[in-house]
Amino acid sequence: MSENENATPDADETPPVEASCSTDCFSENDPSIGTPRRNFVAEMMAAGVGALVGIVPATIGGLFFLDPLLRNGGKGEGDGFIETDLVLDALPADGTPVRYTVRDDLINAWNMFPDQPIGAAWLRRIQDQVLAFSTVCPHLGCDVEHRAGEGDFYCPCHTSAFDLDGKPLNAIPPRAMDTLEATVKDGRIWLKYETFRGATSEKVPV
Amino acid sequence: MIRSLLAWLDNRTGCNDLIHEALYEKVPGGARWRYVWGSTLVFTFVLQMITGIFLWTAYSPSAQTAWESVYYIQEVMFLGKIVRGMHHFAAQAMVVLLAIHLIQVIIDGAYKAPREINFWLGLILMKIILGLSLTGYLLPWDQKGYYATQVSTKIMGATPVVGAQLQEVVQGGAQYNHHTLTRFFAMHAGILPGLLIGFLALHLYVFRRHGLTVHQPKKKPDTTFWPDQVLKDGVACLGVLAVVLLFAIFKGAELSPPADAAKAYAAARPEWYFLFLFRFLKFESVEHLGLAFGAIYVPGALMGILFMMPLTAKLKIGHRFNIAFTWLVTLGIVVLTTMAFYEDANNEDHQAAIAEAERDAHRIKELASRPSMIPVEGAVSLLREDPFTQGPVLFAKYCASCHRYDGHNGRGIVLKQMDKEAKQQSIATPEATDLKNFGSRDWMKAIIVDYGNHFAPLKDAQWYPGADDAEFNLDDSEMADASAGYAEAFKAPENAGDLNALVEALVAMRNWKGDEGTVDVALAERGKQILDGEPLIDGTEISSCIDCHDTIGSDFEVTGEGYGYPDLAEYGSAKWLKAFISDPGSDQFYGAKNHMPAYADKMNAKDLDLLVRWMTGDYHETHVEDYPSRITEVFGAGAKPTAPSADE
Repeated sequence: MSENENATPDADETPPVEASCSTDCFSENDPSIGTPRRNFVAEMMAAGVGALVGIVPATIGGLFFLDPLLRNGGKGEGDGFIETDLVLDALPADGTPVRYTVRDDLINAWNMFPDQPIGAAWLRRIQDQVLAFSTVCPHLGCDVEHRAGEGDFYCPCHTSAFDLDGKPLNAIPPRAMDTLEATVKDGRIWLKYETFRGATSEKVPV
Repeated sequence: MIRSLLAWLDNRTGCNDLIHEALYEKVPGGARWRYVWGSTLVFTFVLQMITGIFLWTAYSPSAQTAWESVYYIQEVMFLGKIVRGMHHFAAQAMVVLLAIHLIQVIIDGAYKAPREINFWLGLILMKIILGLSLTGYLLPWDQKGYYATQVSTKIMGATPVVGAQLQEVVQGGAQYNHHTLTRFFAMHAGILPGLLIGFLALHLYVFRRHGLTVHQPKKKPDTTFWPDQVLKDGVACLGVLAVVLLFAIFKGAELSPPADAAKAYAAARPEWYFLFLFRFLKFESVEHLGLAFGAIYVPGALMGILFMMPLTAKLKIGHRFNIAFTWLVTLGIVVLTTMAFYEDANNEDHQAAIAEAERDAHRIKELASRPSMIPVEGAVSLLREDPFTQGPVLFAKYCASCHRYDGHNGRGIVLKQMDKEAKQQSIATPEATDLKNFGSRDWMKAIIVDYGNHFAPLKDAQWYPGADDAEFNLDDSEMADASAGYAEAFKAPENAGDLNALVEALVAMRNWKGDEGTVDVALAERGKQILDGEPLIDGTEISSCIDCHDTIGSDFEVTGEGYGYPDLAEYGSAKWLKAFISDPGSDQFYGAKNHMPAYADKMNAKDLDLLVRWMTGDYHETHVEDYPSRITEVFGAGAKPTAPSADE
């Protein structure tokens, strides 16, 4: 029986390019098939079922991949304020900035690392309030340092400079230093640590 | 517009030819359902590619992160359970479809000339698929996969000449380690799928060259692959997809407890389609001939016969032989698989091991879903440090030779002993109290008013002296007399509340985790009055517990001093229990009357702590079902005609 089928039917019967038919006219040009009766219903069903078995797993997989958007993973409850181990009185009364390493529980997928350093802030005492700046430069994200001699904030990467209230002292930074929300409860400082998009004139939380 | 675009594309790529080639393959005799199996295999492979790549985006191959990432996929990530379930069950579907495809090819004679090469290509594809399931089984790094794969690599180690080296290379070291996972993962997600794609392309190419093997007689006029056969194939694939999805949704892929090289896994079994080989290797006569014989030579010989089929078919009765051989092997596999399932279902030890594995698997999910999540040293440490998990294991190891826990050995197993005369196993008689209720209110009540019954199992202990020794006798000792007096005094209906009050006072003093809030303070206050010598409601004067156990009410301290009346300060607390288990023969407890071994030197401090915390309920709250109570079986064995007194 194999002899018959070895004569593969379509070797030289390719339709010319000029004919440029869509797939349905192939059978008309194919002499190996007796009566090319198009069965539109069967074609639609075949295409539909074929599409379905592909789309279903691909959709399920795609939704799984979009997990970070579809699941509120670890984006926590609460107002985001972290209780620091600093009391207000620990900050110099004259408003000199103090660098403070912010610590928080860090969630990394299935691991939780308690009490990890997650960033830093410059803290200044203004009477009974705390003024807090992110140490991340709003220009391109280097670490802003405090120059006691100059009485300013200064970024060594691209020489961004700010006064102690965070206002730019030159044209390099696109905006003022990013303030962080800070409050004092029962003498202790609470801080909301956030990061912001760099190199934009608007302060946009990431 | 679309037409001219297609013409432009075809002019440059010749894609019309390709599509034509793919879709207008001749199907002599009309489309048939029996032609769908190859297509369903291709589809299942595509399904595995899709789900596999998505799983890849979340999987992390290392000994400390593999189980953890799979847990995260399955229990936390969006649709993760479905994606993993599809991958898991499609793998099994693939093996089933493979078997159907192979059997059909042989029966229909589709392996005969000129299709020899394609048959061999198919056999290679089969090997690759089996390799994929074997490597995939290890990747979750759970107990089941870990210990089942150990068997596979040990079989590799039994290969003649190069076995040891082969095993070490495959494992990436002498023992399983991070590199075992990275190697298996590279095989599973890279090398084997790559080979599969290559050989599948060849398989399909050669298939197209020879065309379908037509099943005679032809019932209908010839047709083409598109659309008739595509529709049938598509419906078959849809069926496969539906089955896989249903399993994924309603059964879900199993994730057994994280791999622990230090904890043997008695429930270890290969995936069900390898069970026949597992059962075959268990035959004593096969075992006798060595691992290499049963696991390498015999399967090798069977594969050899399979491989030679296109050649043997040229012999006169070759084709018939091949069909007979195929059915015979299939029958053998079915019989062996059935035997394996049947024997496991009737094997108490195996069932107990499965129950324990399921308990651990549920428990680890509870522990991992706490806010503290999974520690970096891996999820296995959660179980190792969990009293609810380790307590029963330690109880079975150290306590169950005399005590029972709810009738079993702590791990759900009813202990048996060999009855030499009857030459059959019978339920072993406990020789000390059942500790399920230790420290509970019922427990304390039973000691006060039903002392003899509560400790009755002691009478079956080898050392128990008999009725003439008043000091030991549970019916005639000092405490037995006192208990009989209490039973009488508390019998009066108006005094019933006072027994509860007395117990409540003892409970209030022991400081169990979970007691806070459940202690009836007013009742405990009344109990304290009775302890201090006040008469019962109806005016009966009883001898107070404090008359003998004079430390009740004070803080428990390990002193080692006493008069042989057990120190009951903070009775039932972790502190008390730890000191008691460490040295029950101390004068502070039973002194010379004691027969329980001192565990201070037999258990390390950590194990003792875990055991005591389990017995006193000091662990993260659980909703995992505990082992079923076996207490009726033990007492029904004729050991004790009396019901467990704790219920009274």
